Amino acid sequence: MNNVLALAGVVIKELYRRKDFYVLFILTALITMVLGSVKFFNDDRIVRYLKDACLLLIWISSLVIAVTTTARQIPAERESRTILPLLAKPVSRAQLIVGKFLGCWLACGLALIVFYFFFGAITASREHAWPLGIYFQALWLHWICLGIVVALVLFGSVVFTAPSSNATVCFIIVTGIMFCGGHLNGVAIHMGGISGTILYAIYYSIPHLEWYDVRDFLIHNWALISWAVCAGATLYGLLYSALLLGATWLVFRGKTLTL
Amino acid sequence: MIRLALLLVFVCCFTLATQLAPVFESFQARSGRSGSPLLVLVGDSRRLFANQFFVMADVYFHSGYYPTIFDARKKEGPSHLDVASHEEAGGSKAEHEEPDEDDQFLGKPKDWIEQFGRNFFPTVHTHLQGPNAREIMPWLKLSAEMDPKRIDTYVTAAYWLRTSLDKPDEAEQFLREGLRASPDSHEILLELGRVYFYNKKNPRAARNIWELALDNWRRQNLAGEKPDPNVQEQILGELVRDDQQSGNLRQLLADLEELAKASPRKGTLDKEIQDVKAKLAH
Repeated sequence: MNNVLALAGVVIKELYRRKDFYVLFILTALITMVLGSVKFFNDDRIVRYLKDACLLLIWISSLVIAVTTTARQIPAERESRTILPLLAKPVSRAQLIVGKFLGCWLACGLALIVFYFFFGAITASREHAWPLGIYFQALWLHWICLGIVVALVLFGSVVFTAPSSNATVCFIIVTGIMFCGGHLNGVAIHMGGISGTILYAIYYSIPHLEWYDVRDFLIHNWALISWAVCAGATLYGLLYSALLLGATWLVFRGKTLTL
Repeated sequence: MIRLALLLVFVCCFTLATQLAPVFESFQARSGRSGSPLLVLVGDSRRLFANQFFVMADVYFHSGYYPTIFDARKKEGPSHLDVASHEEAGGSKAEHEEPDEDDQFLGKPKDWIEQFGRNFFPTVHTHLQGPNAREIMPWLKLSAEMDPKRIDTYVTAAYWLRTSLDKPDEAEQFLREGLRASPDSHEILLELGRVYFYNKKNPRAARNIWELALDNWRRQNLAGEKPDPNVQEQILGELVRDDQQSGNLRQLLADLEELAKASPRKGTLDKEIQDVKAKLAH
């Protein structure tokens, strides 16, 4: 466990040493504040468009951080050959994967806390309220979603040779699932036949990342989501992450470490 | 040497800018468009954006409960946002009201994934009420920026501004912006008259505007442009209301007779006409 935590610690340090997070955060803050400075029909209490834009930027930024940070972990270690002394410590390959996953996931969690605090502050400046319950639920579900994404990218990093191709493919998969994942069943029923059955099978197999996007609840001030539902989504996300990490380990354990 | 080259590039850029600026300005003047970089960038596709922004206003009006392109709509028609702004008597639902059958675009869940997934987006049909309607305004403003000739945008925004938000001055200003883009619009004139009649309590100005709206409607009808007969009925309805308020029975009789020709509620109006005639006979 100590090995895993040590590896995770290195990844977290990498996040705050690199400029990715700072650039994305400043960009998010800047765009949100520029949008917030616009006044429509002399009404300074209009806020939902601002919440919408801010949350969209937070989702994009967090996905960029998760994918780019994770995609370079194992290829960078292999390229610089630091993976060889690392595995000779002794650190097993399974520990390496879990450590990298935990580091990236925790780093994303830290970034999310900063982003959501900024979102809360911007919202409170107009609505004069801090609905902490729904903020916590949104942040938690967002983090669980990023856990699946990190595991998926880690799996991609042992399958694809270049981090860039891995990142591109993972971005396409993640955005595809976010936009269409929940509707594949309807499309499959309309298609019918063998292609419909295949599509339905894909629908059941993919991780349903769209569940974790509860932006509408925050934007339109809906009530809290049931905690039991949140727990169910958490369990689903953790199981999917574990499944992807297991697949990563299976591929990685038989892989040669030199390029 | 490098500095000299950079200086040369700078001089070239400056000269080019002085040459291109007048050309760009004359292009703007010819095309009659505003010089907003956003409009120049999106070109004629701005109408698509205008429609999309209007839809976004409707999404906000329903607090996020809205069909996606994958969801089957029961019937095509105007949005609830649009309908509410055209119906003075109000047909809007209270917030957190149960959905009608027509509004249940989701249908029954097909599997457990879909059923569970419905916990993560709004599934209750509600409409924004009172001052909360302000949240749709940014999208309507953007829609008008994108397509200044989209009349529904002005009418809808002005309706919510003058009713729920109690901002008649802003409503009037926005409608006048719309009139500059579409000077013959009887819909915008109808709404502008309402601002004067109901909010600014200036029935004389309202009457003049409604009469102008009616003239525009008739002119377009004669030109074969097939204007919406419902708008003519609404204009005449407002004129009748003004007559009733002012107590001008002769004008009321004339407007009621005109309204009876245009309205499908002929029976009810005939009775009213008889009543007015009886009052005039006394």
